[in-house]
Amino acid sequence: MAFRELVLEHSHAMFRLAWRLTCDKSAADDIVQEAFIKAWRKLGDFKMQSSFQTWLHRITVNTAMDYLRKQARHKHFETKEPEWETAPQAVETLNAGEQIDLREQTEAAMMKLSEIERTALLLRHFEGHSIKEIAQILDLTTGACKQAVFRAVRKMRIELRPLVTT
Amino acid sequence: MKKISEDDLTLLYYGEHDDPALAATVASSQELSARFDALCEELKRVDSFLPPEPDEDYGVEVWRRISPKLAAESPTSGGTKNTFGRSWLSALSQPRFSLAGVFSLVVVAVLAFMLGRNGVQQTNVDAPDLVANPATLLEGIDLAGINSEQLLARTVSGHLEQVNLVLTQFANMTESSPTEAEWATDMLVANRLYRQVASKRGNHKLAAFLADLEPLLIEMAYQAHTNSPATRERMQQEVKDGLLFRVRVMANQLNKPGIST
Repeated sequence: MAFRELVLEHSHAMFRLAWRLTCDKSAADDIVQEAFIKAWRKLGDFKMQSSFQTWLHRITVNTAMDYLRKQARHKHFETKEPEWETAPQAVETLNAGEQIDLREQTEAAMMKLSEIERTALLLRHFEGHSIKEIAQILDLTTGACKQAVFRAVRKMRIELRPLVTT
Repeated sequence: MKKISEDDLTLLYYGEHDDPALAATVASSQELSARFDALCEELKRVDSFLPPEPDEDYGVEVWRRISPKLAAESPTSGGTKNTFGRSWLSALSQPRFSLAGVFSLVVVAVLAFMLGRNGVQQTNVDAPDLVANPATLLEGIDLAGINSEQLLARTVSGHLEQVNLVLTQFANMTESSPTEAEWATDMLVANRLYRQVASKRGNHKLAAFLADLEPLLIEMAYQAHTNSPATRERMQQEVKDGLLFRVRVMANQLNKPGIST
């Protein structure tokens, strides 16, 4: 298998992660490409202590965080138009208007989290990484990582609770 | 009974709680069940944070965009001098060879490292076995016990067999294809890797032979799709006239026991 095969295998997952970190398709595209180039450069540093996917996710997350910091994306998130027009349908029981509303509110809630909290939650909730793996990806202790997930969950629940009860 | 916190329930939700009995405890308590259900319901809303789904061939598109940059990252790319200032060892730490999976990416770096080592004399592991089953390399093999000359010969022989296949296909196809360019790119980066190793080990004959392959591989990797039919025909003739034969001969020589050219 060549590096190309790794790119083909992991591109979609890396895009989803990059998009969730940035909420920007164009930025996610750039991050995926940059992350693979970084991975290529750093392949010699890859240790078998973690899975290849975990290692790639670490590079993707770091690249995305660099991007966010450079672009000061946080401000942008609060004002940018959502990209829901191409997103797949999420909650079948809601009508289209409600779905968009839910997505927007979920996105807004996500963006209120700190970078670490959001990333930890995304990696746990969507990518299925264990707390230990997330700690490796974010270069945190397991305890600190756990606390980041807890904080993110608490904040998200506060934000999303009204959507559940309505 | 210890108080069950929201954080405990969060860990339970994600299947990470240390206490395997917690699920049963929660299930047996109406109050805990209600709290856990509420947590599940609220976290389920997070699922609506869905990205746009990229095209099916998104990976191909990513590869198309980054592959020229990856080739440019090669420390000796483009026939220019090494301006990266990297040592050969750090260059070798970047796997470039198509083997058999993710393991192989690591294995190439290890192989390259071993091949570049001095003073290693004896072998405990057969090189083809390493290539066929790279994981064995990672299972406590004594790296100091590898005959690096033999390993280099066998590994380059395998590489040349792949080059042989790519060149044979190239020589018999009337039109270029993306696959051809991709294979040529892979062959090119692997070729450079082994050329550097051979050169560092003082095997100048092998290094020179591998260097002879590079111009054609470069042309196949980066210019094949823009070449005119006449140019392609000229390249194919070059392959048929001798290069293919030389590749096969060298691969056979390297494969003979005790021979490393």
